[in-house]
Amino acid sequence: MRRGPALKRSRLLGSYDRRHKLIGLAFSLPAILFLILFVVYPVCYNVWLSFTNTSLIKKTSEFIWLDNYVRLFDNQLFWKYFWNTCKWTFWSVLGQLALGLGIALLIARPMKGGTALRSFLLIPYVVPAITLALVSRWMLNNEYGIISHWLQQAGWLQEGQSLLAMQGSAMWVVVILNIWRSYPFPMLIYWAALKGIDKGIYEAASVDGATKWQCFCYITLPELKNTTIVLVVLRTIWTATYYDLIYMVTGGGPTGSTTTLPILIYQASFGKYQVGYGAAISMVLGVLMFVCIIFYVTKSGVAED
Amino acid sequence: MTTNVRKNKIITGVFVAVLIVLLLVMVALPLLWMVVSSFKPGEELFTIPPEILPQKWSLEWYIQAFQNKAVIHYCVNSLYIACVVMVIDMIVGSLTAYSLTRFRFSGRKAILVSVLAAYCVPPIMLMLPLYKIMNGLGLSGSHFGVIIGHLTVTLPFSVWLLVSFFKKLPREIDEAAVMDGANEWQVFAKIDLPLCISGVLSTGIMAFIMSWNEFLLSSVLTNKEEMKTLTVGLSNYISSTHIDWGIIMALGTITTVPVVILFALVQKYFVEGMTAGAVKG
Repeated sequence: MRRGPALKRSRLLGSYDRRHKLIGLAFSLPAILFLILFVVYPVCYNVWLSFTNTSLIKKTSEFIWLDNYVRLFDNQLFWKYFWNTCKWTFWSVLGQLALGLGIALLIARPMKGGTALRSFLLIPYVVPAITLALVSRWMLNNEYGIISHWLQQAGWLQEGQSLLAMQGSAMWVVVILNIWRSYPFPMLIYWAALKGIDKGIYEAASVDGATKWQCFCYITLPELKNTTIVLVVLRTIWTATYYDLIYMVTGGGPTGSTTTLPILIYQASFGKYQVGYGAAISMVLGVLMFVCIIFYVTKSGVAED
Repeated sequence: MTTNVRKNKIITGVFVAVLIVLLLVMVALPLLWMVVSSFKPGEELFTIPPEILPQKWSLEWYIQAFQNKAVIHYCVNSLYIACVVMVIDMIVGSLTAYSLTRFRFSGRKAILVSVLAAYCVPPIMLMLPLYKIMNGLGLSGSHFGVIIGHLTVTLPFSVWLLVSFFKKLPREIDEAAVMDGANEWQVFAKIDLPLCISGVLSTGIMAFIMSWNEFLLSSVLTNKEEMKTLTVGLSNYISSTHIDWGIIMALGTITTVPVVILFALVQKYFVEGMTAGAVKG
């Protein structure tokens, strides 16, 4: 007899709960719709484009199966630029993680003005790439650039020569510039991770007679392992696909020595108007990055949250 | 023994101080050189060897820069686009963050993961399809395409940051409000949003900065000279054959200073949000 009202109540609660959850979902709808329309759909559209000979100067386009990819993989230059991308990505990521970790270790020490120092060191994170590009082109200008002048004075550089105009050095210049603008992110994340390490472990280790160096190698580094994996994945994605800086500093030159795949995509699509071909290059890049994204999402722990 | 320890401490102290000075120089030097160059009069800009500080400071490059109507267009466009992006990000972002942190519907995790994945989709992948779509819709002559483009970059970032702020609010606050008869919208608008307002505003400002700095999509998704943003306009200047270095330094300073000031205002919240839930080991 007494079951009736209780059942009714739980049913009422159930319907309230369902309604409540639906309303909750509704708050996410604008973002979901936006992402479907302007991220998911474009990515799918890009896949389709890569199988066509779409061009910006022709009205019609045909489905040509894998022709773009065949053409791409047959092209010697593609492999050269692919290798450039690997070099650019590897050194940029290594450099920014090493510098970021170094600075994080430095500012994690308790000291006066530590917060102000940290804030100051974050500035490159928001400096527009164009600013960095124009300053570096000015400082490395072959005639009036201050760095070129110093190097020429020291005899390391010929008169009237610039580091940006030489095939051997241009890539290193853009890599160093990229490290300059991207170390703050790893710095911040490492700094937070360092703060999260239990101080008691260090105390216990030093009671046992461990030196500072041993503490660093056997406590700090292992504690930072997961952070490092996540940072490597994220920064690899962003660096390998990063277009702005190289385009604005060297434009991919001299003679293709700093051309990476994003630059190639742009040149193929808007220089030669071959959008289908450009889309195929971006698919190659995209598939490589997709592997990274999957790896990141499973590693970052969001899924378990 | 004690003198040894003290000696070690002094050596470490000096070492750390030298490192800090080097870092400060590394960050400040390129930016200071730009600002200093922008105030050097023409004859001093091109001296060999270059002078470190100008003999006399001059505003001529700034005056020349703003005599060009295009420059004013660039500034207005950048400001307009960044403001629209900021407002949309704050509204849509906080709605989404509220939904993802306060409700337990199925598919919640999937949405969270998708937002994170969308954050990783680089602009270069979206450039061609967005270009084709905007052209197909006939929107390449307006700011609409650029705003959409910037949102694809900033919205996932904003949601991500805002989730970390909304997460920190205790759920008991919501429950108490529901007991008092508030519905879901009222809980959001009257309680959670006001409590998170500093986080929401700083996320908005970060979105503003990202939009202001964005280059690739801005350059592809506009086809008219008067629609260009500052970053695109400036990049045209440095890739032309005749480069007017003085004007470029002045424009570079104008582009950079507002962003650095805005960031200084919100960096405390940015650091908080990024380090709270950003990269979990």
